[in-house]
Amino acid sequence: MRYLMTTGQNSRAADEALFAEMGAFIEEMTAAGILIATGGLEPGGVVMTSQGDEITVTDGPFVEAKEEILGFALVEVSSHEEALEVSRRFRRIVGDGSSVLHRVMGP
Amino acid sequence: MTPARGGGLPAQVDAVWKLESARIVAALTRMVHDVGLAEELAQDALVAALEQWPAEGVPDNPGAWLTSVAKRRAVDHLRRADRAERARTALAATPEADDVPADEDADVLRLMFLSCHPVLPTAARLALTLRLLGGLSVDEIARAFLVDAATVGRRIADAKRTLAQEGAAFAMPDREELAARLSSVLEVVYLLFNEGYAATAGHDLLRPDLCGQALRLGHRLAALAPSEPEVHGLLALMELQASRAAARTGPAGEPVPLHEQDRGRWDPVHVRRGFTAMLRARDLGARDLGGAPGPYVLQAAIAVCHAQARRAEDTDWAAIAALYDRLAAQLPTPVVALNRAVAVARARGPAEGLALVEALRDDPRLRDYHLLPGVRADLLARLGREAEARREYARAAALTRNDAERAFLDARAADLVAAPAGPTLEEVAARFLDGLAAPARRAYGQTLRRLVRGLGGTTPLAATTAADVARVLTTSWGTAAPATWNRHRAAVRSFAAWCGRPELASDLVRRSSSSVPTPPVTPDRVAALCDDPAVPVRERALWSLLHESGAPVRAVLALDVGDLDRDDRSTHDRAVTWRSRTARLLEELLAGRARGPVFLADRRPGPARTPEPADRCPDTGRARLSYERAEYLFKHSSGGATLRRLRAGR
Repeated sequence: MRYLMTTGQNSRAADEALFAEMGAFIEEMTAAGILIATGGLEPGGVVMTSQGDEITVTDGPFVEAKEEILGFALVEVSSHEEALEVSRRFRRIVGDGSSVLHRVMGP
Repeated sequence: MTPARGGGLPAQVDAVWKLESARIVAALTRMVHDVGLAEELAQDALVAALEQWPAEGVPDNPGAWLTSVAKRRAVDHLRRADRAERARTALAATPEADDVPADEDADVLRLMFLSCHPVLPTAARLALTLRLLGGLSVDEIARAFLVDAATVGRRIADAKRTLAQEGAAFAMPDREELAARLSSVLEVVYLLFNEGYAATAGHDLLRPDLCGQALRLGHRLAALAPSEPEVHGLLALMELQASRAAARTGPAGEPVPLHEQDRGRWDPVHVRRGFTAMLRARDLGARDLGGAPGPYVLQAAIAVCHAQARRAEDTDWAAIAALYDRLAAQLPTPVVALNRAVAVARARGPAEGLALVEALRDDPRLRDYHLLPGVRADLLARLGREAEARREYARAAALTRNDAERAFLDARAADLVAAPAGPTLEEVAARFLDGLAAPARRAYGQTLRRLVRGLGGTTPLAATTAADVARVLTTSWGTAAPATWNRHRAAVRSFAAWCGRPELASDLVRRSSSSVPTPPVTPDRVAALCDDPAVPVRERALWSLLHESGAPVRAVLALDVGDLDRDDRSTHDRAVTWRSRTARLLEELLAGRARGPVFLADRRPGPARTPEPADRCPDTGRARLSYERAEYLFKHSSGGATLRRLRAGR
């Protein structure tokens, strides 16, 4: 089963130590076949709304800065608990903040 | 807010355990030099976590907590061990454990080599690998293989004992050993994958996902042994097969052949990971000058060809056929040869494919393999030989054991035009047998049933030729003793004369009884036969038991599971005793069975031939293996020797 994990702003400063720790974690999860894809997201973004025949495009930001999604990871796990555990390991590295986990339905 | 889903703390501990246990068990095995003990110590740490975490809270780094508690237990164990013993073991273990930084990855790889050790029977390798590398519980492994937990527990305990007895080292194999040991690991991983991939029938939602476990192991192995092309080849093969998992069954559970699958449902994540692994295998292969790609790389390359085709008609069949040519040279099995024929038919036309299939029709190993008539039917239909195609579809449908597949084959047969009129072979044979007295009916019945099954029951008698008849008899009894051959020949001659087609038996030549010399069955020959992994374990166990016990063939075939005292390697009445090779083979053969005949026939008997309850397995409904069948199988494998010679050959 697959989960999409998203995260907003986290407290730990993005220094060399964080990159090293995060790099090792990503490498381990990839080698284990767990991590499928991951990336950081540009703040702000673009909102596209459709109503009737009308499609409106608005430049972000469109949510409170603290609710903004700034990173994601798509993982392949064998259980819901394993998804939680992988996410716990991520949170231990990045400091204060929050992540949201969604199970990906399908394909 | 609703409380978080999940099973609470025990479920969290379990998730940590599955992620960390391989590393922990591997590190402990290096310390205590005994994988059984290492696993027990690691389990102790797990129990400690379940006791302490609810009260003290989950530690910041649960994996590190488990590791350090387990290592402490291992050190305690070493201290407790008697002084002299300690001096020996601890001295050997400590410098590595304390001074040199532990190479966790290398330890996990050693653990894989150990759990896939060739001294273990296949079932034990699979169970032990899931236990030690996947962190699965005995119950979970039992559910995965649909057997009971006691069986799995015994399998794992026996495996650990065998490893200890054989002195299997927790070490990297020597250079000359490496290829064989690595291929044993690859085999275990691929068997796990196929066990999961084939088991579409399981509706147990708690059944652990063996494909997922195998993929994890494959990724892990690729990270641990990154310079082995075959490792990446296997990973690519599994990923690409996994990508088609959703597309290969239709809404009613029917199989959807590759060229009819909705390619939009192929999972791009698996495809991409498969391609990545394949590129790595290819790079390594290119560097390894002169080394031909191994069987996994070749199979993965075939899977890549399919994955690259956006539509079925874009498939590069010429490339696939060329890959099968190379694969068939490395893996000369009849199933590979059959797949090669399919590819050749696509690449160079059905006539060429059919020619390759025709060559396989005499192979006794494919005699009851439904895909042979299934493939032949497809090719005949494409050549416009619809009446023959229809019969082959019907024959394939009669041979398959899968209901969805049978319905599919029947539907294909129904799509073709009706067969020419006239009585079918099956009808004529039934009428012939009905007119005979009971003893003759029994004697001729076996021959004619085989003939009907070999040619297809719906074949009109008028369409049957002498060459067809000769082919079926040769495939079935070509290696039998001359007397047996002549008996079946006589049955066919009698039938052919009765139905007014005496020429049908004209290609069957009578054999003189001295024409086939039987080679002696030396102990070396017996050992070679009993260790041949290509032979089913049932046959090997029977031969080994006959050879080691010297007991009469009928007495051995009459044994029930309940007659055996497997710990004492003898029957309860001491009439039949055996030694270690038989003991090992019996364990493998009887895994999970507590009653019924020891040696069972391949399939359930038809409704008209229900055996006595005493000769039937109450669990599977399969009958006791007959003397005739056992004799045939041995003659076939030994080049004509009889089972009795096996006893005398001691």
